[in-house]
Amino acid sequence: MKIAVCVKQVPSTTAVIRVAADGSRLELAGVETVVGPYEEYALEEALKVREKNAGSTIVVVAVGGEEAGKALTHAYALGVDRAVLIQAPDADAAAAAACAAGFLKAEKPDLVFCGRQAIDDDQWLFPGALGEALDLPHVTAASTFELAGASATCKRRIEGGEEVIEVKLPAVISCEKGLNEPRVPTLKGRLNAKKMKVETKSPADVGVDAAKLAGGLKIERYAPPPEKSPGKRIEGKAAAEAAAELVKLLREEAKVI
Amino acid sequence: MGNDILVLAQHQDGAVKKPTLECLSVARALAAATGGKVLAAALGPGAAKAAADLGAWGAASVLVGEGPALAKYSSLRWTRVLAGAVAKQKPAALLTSTSALSRDLAGRLAARINGVLASDCTKLSAAGGRFTLERPILAGRALVTASHGGDRPLVATLRPNVFGAEKPAQAGACATETLEVTEDAADLRVVVKEVATVKSERPELSEAAIVVSGGRSWGSADGFKPVFDLADALGAAPGASRAAVDAGYVPHSMQVGQTGKTVSPVLYIACGISGAIQHLAGMRTSKYIVAINNDPNAPIFKLADYGIVGDEFEVVPALTAEIKKLKEG
Repeated sequence: MKIAVCVKQVPSTTAVIRVAADGSRLELAGVETVVGPYEEYALEEALKVREKNAGSTIVVVAVGGEEAGKALTHAYALGVDRAVLIQAPDADAAAAAACAAGFLKAEKPDLVFCGRQAIDDDQWLFPGALGEALDLPHVTAASTFELAGASATCKRRIEGGEEVIEVKLPAVISCEKGLNEPRVPTLKGRLNAKKMKVETKSPADVGVDAAKLAGGLKIERYAPPPEKSPGKRIEGKAAAEAAAELVKLLREEAKVI
Repeated sequence: MGNDILVLAQHQDGAVKKPTLECLSVARALAAATGGKVLAAALGPGAAKAAADLGAWGAASVLVGEGPALAKYSSLRWTRVLAGAVAKQKPAALLTSTSALSRDLAGRLAARINGVLASDCTKLSAAGGRFTLERPILAGRALVTASHGGDRPLVATLRPNVFGAEKPAQAGACATETLEVTEDAADLRVVVKEVATVKSERPELSEAAIVVSGGRSWGSADGFKPVFDLADALGAAPGASRAAVDAGYVPHSMQVGQTGKTVSPVLYIACGISGAIQHLAGMRTSKYIVAINNDPNAPIFKLADYGIVGDEFEVVPALTAEIKKLKEG
């Protein structure tokens, strides 16, 4: 079985994000980056499928700049077979999907795993757009995955319940927290990763016209989240008294209960 | 491309969900700026029933898709039917609310119709032939303002509870049009086999007007009871921090934050939650935030409109008692 995984290197979930004073850009230099947490589930699921299906291979693809190479080194440390970087530092999610699709069209994987969302742009665009470009069905935010021959069964949480989804392979599966427990690279894996070479390609190499990479949303400006003025604090009071005071504020001032 | 605004209605057996009404309100404002009409599309069982409500909320025309081919949600079939409607109506923008359905559908649909996707918008307006929107990125650690104009339709999902829903004083006539739905075996490559609904009297977390969340300090699944009690007293949805979920006290479906759900209720009450950046990501656009925590330096207080510095084990039950007193009085 041929398995592909799409990964993205993103600012760590705890990194403090600064916005340039004029709002023109995010100041990301020096910000710690990590493999997207949902892509970690994608990598783990790919490894599990390979373990259960002898002769399977895993190819990992990232679209981005130099930093994206770190995600691929991490993937090598986990033991994937091949890692490919498509160099498009400014690609937005739609452009990234076009580049990944360009590469994967030729690879013809049976399964493509990716994260449910990139945790930097939070668009949730990539899996559906990739499925569309490859003409493959996609499953969003799978919290379980079971392979049975040429199809797979996934569960997906929805408002007030859970869907059981059956999908025919080949397919794109975006991964949700809870799907698995991602392993951490072993020392041997990390040493081995240093010997592995990341293949690099340009968008043109995978049949994507670089001029067409832009053209989506036009970014006007960035802003930090609005500062909140200090709220009212109830301190040093007995529980019942504090509760009564809060209820009064919520009723009479905020008018929300 | 025309200048109409198309709203994909989300409904349960014909009962239109509130975030869809918010989308219709936004669509009316957009259509006033573009000089177009508000159109709505409703698919699946009960779609025809939903049409009347959609008209009352400002849709000039509702495209209804029902029948066996749409009996169950399928991303491929929904995409095909909606792409057909878009090809015919040529809207300038397609709006729907952020939900499990739109998270699945929007990326694919935008690609199919050569549209431009903006997910989970918190502002959206139109002027001079361009749409301008704001959306949180990096889990709310920054906001981006972006614009879009030109030939490609905008596909925007709107965060629930952020935009108000205002019913027009007088709705114009609403026409209903039946969408032609054809079968295509290729759509069946992905199908929803079953939907297991969790029977709950409680509101859905991502749509609730009030959310009451608890953290790891509650100590166990049983220990979480005071959080549920307060939620129930308020008719609120219960939520939790990642730490409480990872400790196994409550299911992941209750998790608020970066690797859980994003909520934006009118009132968010954080009980014994310190306010890790990943948690704040999931609730910072709530209208009013209340923090109850015994640590006066907990980061959650920075976001709180009202804070009680005190032992949550005492304050939360006291608050429940106070709310009950109020409701009974």
